[in-house]
Amino acid sequence: MTKSILIIEDDDFLAGLEATKLKKKGYEIFTAPNSVEAFKIIDAGTKLDLILLDLLLPDVDGFMILEKIRQNKNMLTIPVIVFSNLSEDKDIQRVNKLGVSDFMIKSNFTLDELAEKVKDLIGE
Amino acid sequence: MEPKTKELEGEIKKLSENYAIKADMISISAHQIRTSMSAIKWIIEMFLQGDLGRLTVEQENLLKKAAESNARATSVVSELLLTNRTEDIVEQKYNFAPLDLVELTENSIFNFSGEAFTRGIEVIFLKPGSEVPKVKADREKLLVVLHNLLDNAIKYSNAHGKIFIVLKQTDGMIQFSIKDTGIVISPEGKTKIFQKFYRDKEAVKKEMVGSGIGLYTVKKIVERHSGEIWFESGENTGTTFFFTIPTFK
Repeated sequence: MTKSILIIEDDDFLAGLEATKLKKKGYEIFTAPNSVEAFKIIDAGTKLDLILLDLLLPDVDGFMILEKIRQNKNMLTIPVIVFSNLSEDKDIQRVNKLGVSDFMIKSNFTLDELAEKVKDLIGE
Repeated sequence: MEPKTKELEGEIKKLSENYAIKADMISISAHQIRTSMSAIKWIIEMFLQGDLGRLTVEQENLLKKAAESNARATSVVSELLLTNRTEDIVEQKYNFAPLDLVELTENSIFNFSGEAFTRGIEVIFLKPGSEVPKVKADREKLLVVLHNLLDNAIKYSNAHGKIFIVLKQTDGMIQFSIKDTGIVISPEGKTKIFQKFYRDKEAVKKEMVGSGIGLYTVKKIVERHSGEIWFESGENTGTTFFFTIPTFK
C-alpha cells in the first residue's frame, strides 16, 4: 500500500522539489503552505504515514502545529521530521520535547538523504 | 558619582539592546540565506542525477564545483550562527539544577543521528552499569557542550568511523568522554586548541570552513560549571575529549 506524506512548507519552490523527489520514490504527497491548509488535510482524516514540517511559517509556526498534532489522539505516534533552516539549540530542544523523529537542517542535506531518512522511518 | 553611574548603566543597556538586535538580524538573515542555498543544492543535485537530461562531462564537472562552493558557503553560515550566539551563551546567567547526564547525552546523540547517518558514522554510547548520579548543571548550556563535541567528532572522523561516548563516576564528579577515530591534533594545537578563533592545521585540512569558536565556548561553559576539560590525541588512538561536572549534592 502506498505510503502518504504531508509536507508543510511555505516556500512553494522548495515544497515542489521535496514533493517531486518523494513522489519519484513512490510516496503519495500532500502539501500545505500553512497551518490552515495542513489541518484541512489532517482533520479530513487523510491517511498519513509521515509529516515533514518546516518551522518558520506565515501564520502559526511549526512548533504550534506540532503541539496541535500531538494533541490529536490519531496523530500521537505519527513520525514527524522537522525539516527547517533553524538550528539553534533552543529550537531543537523545543521540538524534541514535543516528540519528533528527526531534526534536519535543510541546507545540510540533499533530497536523496531526506528520502533515505523517510525510507528508514516508514519504509518504501 | 551617581549621575555618572546612571549614565554608564544607560550606555550598557543601550549596548545590550543593540547587541540583541544585531544577533537577531544575523539569525534571520542566516535563515534566509540557508533557504536559498537549500534550493541551489537541490537543483544541482537534480542536474547531477540526470533528472533534467544528460550532461556533458564539462557541465557535470562545473556543477560539481558549484555544489562544493555551495557547501562551503553553507558551512560559513553555520559558523556565523555559532559565533553570533557564543558570547551570549558563555556570559548568560546560569540556572544550575539537578540534571540527568545520561538522558541529555542520549538526546544529543539523537539530534546528530542525521549527520552521523549521512557520513556512515556509528555513535556508541557506553552507559555505566549502575545508576549515574545527577550533575549540577545548566541544561541548555551543557547541551551546547555536548553538541559541539559531537559535531566535532562527526566532522573530523573518517567516513564509516566509530565514536565512543563514555560516562564515568569519579570523586564527586561525573566524567564524560568522547572518542573519535579521526584526525590527530597537531603539537601546536595541543597548547592552543581551546583558544578563541584558533583552528588546528589538521582540522583546516579536513574541513576548510570553521570559526575556531566551538572548543573555546565548550571550555568556558565547563569552567562555569566548576569542571575541567582536556583531551588526548595520538596517531593510533584518535582523539578523545574529556570533561568533568560535579554531581548534585
